[in-house]
Amino acid sequence: MLVALLVALLLAGCRQPPPTPTAALQIDLTYEPAPARVGQAALLITVRDTAGQPVTDAKVSARGDMSHAGMAPVLGEGEPQGNGRYRVPFEWTMSGDWFVDVTVTLPDGAVAQQRFDLTVSR
Amino acid sequence: MTPRPVLIGRDVLRLPLVGRLLRWRWGRLALQLPLLLVAAALVIDGFAGPQDAPRNLATVVPWVHFRGLAVLALLLAGNLFCMACPFTLPRTLARGLSLRRRRFPRRLRGKWLALVSLLGLFLVYEIFSLWASPLLTAWLIVAYFAAAFILEAWFGESAFCKYVCPLGTFNFVYSTLSPTQIAVKDRAVCAACAGKECVRGSYRRLPNARVDVLPDGPREARQGPSGTPGCGLLLFPPQLTTNLDCTFCLDCVRACPHDNIALAARRPGGELLRPRAWRQRWDVTLLVVALAFIGVVSAFSMTPPRYELQSSLSRLGFADEPLQLLAIFGVGGLLLPAGAALLAARLGQALTRTSRRLSLRQTAAAFAPAFAPLGFGIWAAHYSFHFLVAPLTLIPVVQEFLGQPGEWARFGVMGDLTAIGLLQAALLLGGFLWSLWIAQRAAFRLYRRDALPGLLPWALLLLALMLAAGYLFTLPMEMRGTDFLLG
Repeated sequence: MLVALLVALLLAGCRQPPPTPTAALQIDLTYEPAPARVGQAALLITVRDTAGQPVTDAKVSARGDMSHAGMAPVLGEGEPQGNGRYRVPFEWTMSGDWFVDVTVTLPDGAVAQQRFDLTVSR
Repeated sequence: MTPRPVLIGRDVLRLPLVGRLLRWRWGRLALQLPLLLVAAALVIDGFAGPQDAPRNLATVVPWVHFRGLAVLALLLAGNLFCMACPFTLPRTLARGLSLRRRRFPRRLRGKWLALVSLLGLFLVYEIFSLWASPLLTAWLIVAYFAAAFILEAWFGESAFCKYVCPLGTFNFVYSTLSPTQIAVKDRAVCAACAGKECVRGSYRRLPNARVDVLPDGPREARQGPSGTPGCGLLLFPPQLTTNLDCTFCLDCVRACPHDNIALAARRPGGELLRPRAWRQRWDVTLLVVALAFIGVVSAFSMTPPRYELQSSLSRLGFADEPLQLLAIFGVGGLLLPAGAALLAARLGQALTRTSRRLSLRQTAAAFAPAFAPLGFGIWAAHYSFHFLVAPLTLIPVVQEFLGQPGEWARFGVMGDLTAIGLLQAALLLGGFLWSLWIAQRAAFRLYRRDALPGLLPWALLLLALMLAAGYLFTLPMEMRGTDFLLG
């Protein structure tokens, strides 16, 4: 039993820590349609720097998860729309509580992340 | 009337490799250790890993994959989870510490406590939204180990498994459908066996030997330090007529000095058709009926009407959510099945004029086995949805646990919802038809020419349950009330 516990502890030590944000950015999220409903959707992400200037050359990705285990995440990449706005084609696959993690990567490799909680209705 | 013995089919323990592993002295431990390792990983990830339920082993494994695999194993093989259950390892430790002394209180020796613990687990699951909390799930696993150790240390008779464990209780009830059962090969050998090692165990500090005079002649039986324990639940294999109490630990097989116990293949659900295979007690009857109803309540709790009901209760001034859930599960999972079973039994008596010949208890007990297939169908339909909707997501979760990047785009693929829906319908309808078959057999056995009116109330009750579950499965699922866990 001790061996089993030790092995599990060793395995747990392997888990990589979440990426540390290295860029200070302001990330906002809206979505279409609003309020969120099951089906095809789009995430509209706006990225600004600390001075409030739009960030136009970032790589933006989004990952949506339901708050419970077992559902496949919805992944999407942002398409630049100009003026710091990015559009992510998306799909809400079930009604209920969701969280969306938006990751913004700047050309110099600096990363910023923001989580948004929302409820999707039928 | 003595229950008919189980007909022996092929002995699974004679299969190559598998049979040898299962009969091996350390066979159960060999099955338990991997699951102990899994349990340890769940606890560690639950406490130390990310608190996002879809990305943590503590929530993904028990609430999605384990449940799906458990129902599959019950249907295709037997009570494999109890066989490999890591929670019973503390029993061995407790035995080593010589703490096993007392018998479990007589009043609690039945299925009542198991029914309460089962309802309690579902209630805790709902109140604390365990599906969304790796941390609380990890605490639940720790609490499970602690409860198993304390009860096994304090009481003999594997009290935790036999009287308390909610997971085991679920497995017990639905292993009655399984195609395998512990059975003796020759009852005369058991009658001639002086040691009854299947219950008492063959382990002794000092070696000794005796000679049993078996039907085919005298045979030596040895006990000693290399022996094994007997049935922890004190079940005597020649008297076993059901899987309802058996953990499939196979200790009886290993301890038997005459190789007279088999893990026998049988007709799936065969015991449900045998009169008196189950004890005719209210606790057994209500457990099986209630578990089918709880299956409906559990599905209900994931659909919009649940939230509408809670809103209505709140508008009536009944706003406390735990109390609302207690009311929903108490009424739907306990009062309603008890009332429905009593009403059906009473109606059956009235329609067949058998109230003098058959008590309510006997009538309800005769039809209780009919609720096992439908109950299983409801649970299997529910769990198969969660299991199949994104079955491969376990892989990236494990990858991340092991320090690798999770390949979510590759493995986070949703299952075909139409195919899952058809499977759910098949499970539900199959369970219903199987239940109806068992109920009509019970009706013919009990009422002969009055079988049809005697069957009617039970058939209607089964139909209502099936329709309720079918309706709920057509509703969109939604999981709410979990925001507070996300911070």
